[in-house]
Amino acid sequence: MKEVLKYGLILSAICLIASGLLAGVYSFTKPQIDKQAQNEIDKALTQVVPQANRFEPVQSTDEILYYRGYDKNNKLAGFIFKARAKGYSSTIETLVGLSLQKKIIAIKVIAQNETPGLGSRVTEKTFIQQFTNKNANELSNVSAISGATISSSAVIASVKEKLEKIQNILK
Amino acid sequence: MKFDSKEFIKGLIKENPTFVLALGLCPTLAVSTALTNGLGMGIAATFVLIGSNIFISLIKNIVPDKIRIPCYIVVIATFVTITELFMKAYSPALNRALGIYVPLIVVNCIVLGRAEAYASKSSVSNSIMDALGMGLGFTLALLLISGIREILGLGTFFGYKIIKSYEPMFIFALPSGALLVIGLLMGFLNLLKNKKT
Amino acid sequence: MNKLTVSYSPHLHTNQSCAKIMWSVFASLLPAGIAAIFIFGAAALWVILLGVISALVTEGLLQYFNKKKITLSDGSAALTGLLLSYNLPANSPWWLVVIGSFFSVFIGKQIFGGLGQNIFNPALVGRVFLMTCWPKYMTNFMKPLDAGINFFKSFNYDAVTAATPLMMAKEGKAVIDISYWDLFLGKHGGCLGEVCILALLAGALFLLLKKYISWHIPIIYIATVGVFSWIFGSKGLFSGDFLFSILSGGLILGAFFMATDYVTSPLTRKGQAIFAAGCGILTVVIRLWGGYPEGVSYAILMMNAATPIIDRYTKNRIFGR
Repeated sequence: MKEVLKYGLILSAICLIASGLLAGVYSFTKPQIDKQAQNEIDKALTQVVPQANRFEPVQSTDEILYYRGYDKNNKLAGFIFKARAKGYSSTIETLVGLSLQKKIIAIKVIAQNETPGLGSRVTEKTFIQQFTNKNANELSNVSAISGATISSSAVIASVKEKLEKIQNILK
Repeated sequence: MKFDSKEFIKGLIKENPTFVLALGLCPTLAVSTALTNGLGMGIAATFVLIGSNIFISLIKNIVPDKIRIPCYIVVIATFVTITELFMKAYSPALNRALGIYVPLIVVNCIVLGRAEAYASKSSVSNSIMDALGMGLGFTLALLLISGIREILGLGTFFGYKIIKSYEPMFIFALPSGALLVIGLLMGFLNLLKNKKT
Repeated sequence: MNKLTVSYSPHLHTNQSCAKIMWSVFASLLPAGIAAIFIFGAAALWVILLGVISALVTEGLLQYFNKKKITLSDGSAALTGLLLSYNLPANSPWWLVVIGSFFSVFIGKQIFGGLGQNIFNPALVGRVFLMTCWPKYMTNFMKPLDAGINFFKSFNYDAVTAATPLMMAKEGKAVIDISYWDLFLGKHGGCLGEVCILALLAGALFLLLKKYISWHIPIIYIATVGVFSWIFGSKGLFSGDFLFSILSGGLILGAFFMATDYVTSPLTRKGQAIFAAGCGILTVVIRLWGGYPEGVSYAILMMNAATPIIDRYTKNRIFGR
């Protein structure tokens, strides 16, 4: 019994020191980490709506529906939303930037884990650039990548579906 | 304090953690896709190794044998979390590239292996040398593997394209390519060793 | 390593040599190659020649530098090169063929210690390596030559690409315009050695008659694929296309010429049956639910890996025990 107590004390002492150390490091790095996370989101958002430099999330009860992008004169410059669909071997997440006319400015695949060399080609410029300047109806003109039909069709379909769903509530 | 350079040098080649001790292969396979990742992982693991080796060498006389493993793990996990927090704060891109493998340094066999096999029995100064040697040996191995994989698998060197018309061999960007490279390198090193003797 | 010693006891002595069997298999594969040259033109010939020659050169150089006896005449390297080239599209770039051949012989065979020591079928190792490295080139199949363009006119022919029947099936497109007869003769896109079933069967028949291969592995393999494809058809249970699943893809080539490789398949009949059924099930699983349209090469390689275990549990009972 005495031994157990001794072991417990030593272990808790070590844990106490460890947690103290961690608490210190955590509070020291917290502001920097938050700043980096915000930067990262802004950077991704800027890539799909290059005119904007300030972004504001529009939320329903608990999730972010879309972002509004404002340019440097604080005028609304575009909208950004996230589309996601199951590709060949992973869920492909795409960030879509929309102009005020509800036409696509640019898209960016932000997360995918498709077969390298085949499905992963959805991140390539030649595919991505096809989306520029298209509205929801014109998206069927985007051609899939040969050899990566499933992945690229998933991206096209997910963007189209989300765009059709969301374009009437954007404002 | 007396620093023994022998303790440092042994980790580089003779007891190289990756190629000779075959420790910590899981993170090696996973993160050695590009040189920056390999370097980042190597430095992170070295930092954790140094921290945990010093600490464990310091508390080796206080910690009873029966509870040494939980104590070591707490120490190691602390240093890993510190590393992760700093990485998130100052190098988020690297943190994202290494992903889950940063927190997984906790269970990297090199760290616990050195704590158990070396630091818990040695002086602080020697433990530092051991950690430096092992860490550097691990980093060198990672650089070698990730260098080969990045050049063949992506056609780049530290992110810069070398040959324009090169068609990357994707297998080397995948875990199967990592196994292939590690296997061939181990075989090659054994071949050299056998030739010497 | 010259004599065939690939079975558990009891043994019988024959005058078969390894080289004789290897060259016979090589010869039995030639009809399929000639058919490929008819179907795809000169491009196919280059790929075949390049595959065989670079495999021979690799084997010779490796044995020379390792100071081993150079055994090019046993035909195993030539066979590996030939089988590899049969697993490539006819319009492969030259470096694809050379690197594939090199990898097959070096990593697939010599690194394990040469003929008889390898765990995996070398040609398939090369194919899977290329498939993982350059999927773009490995899935870019040439369309058969148009009518009116014969071999001699095909030297400057610009290849048109076509999807294989299995790729179309996987993407959910109906394969209406290809008849079983076209599949049987090889008038569709695909790896150059796998398309002409007729020529492959002719070669296989020769091997079976000569008793160089037994029917167990190929027939069980093909039957398993057929039955499972039929059961798990796209339109519900028991609606699959039995014949289509057999005639498309590399099944015939794989079942007769690669799954039957002495070195990498089990030794006893019972073991061979398990091996073949395993190949069949894996092939269907990959075709239907896997990441690639064709699964023959992966299925055979996986079962190659399982061969030692199969051998251990199906060993013949020693007489009297």
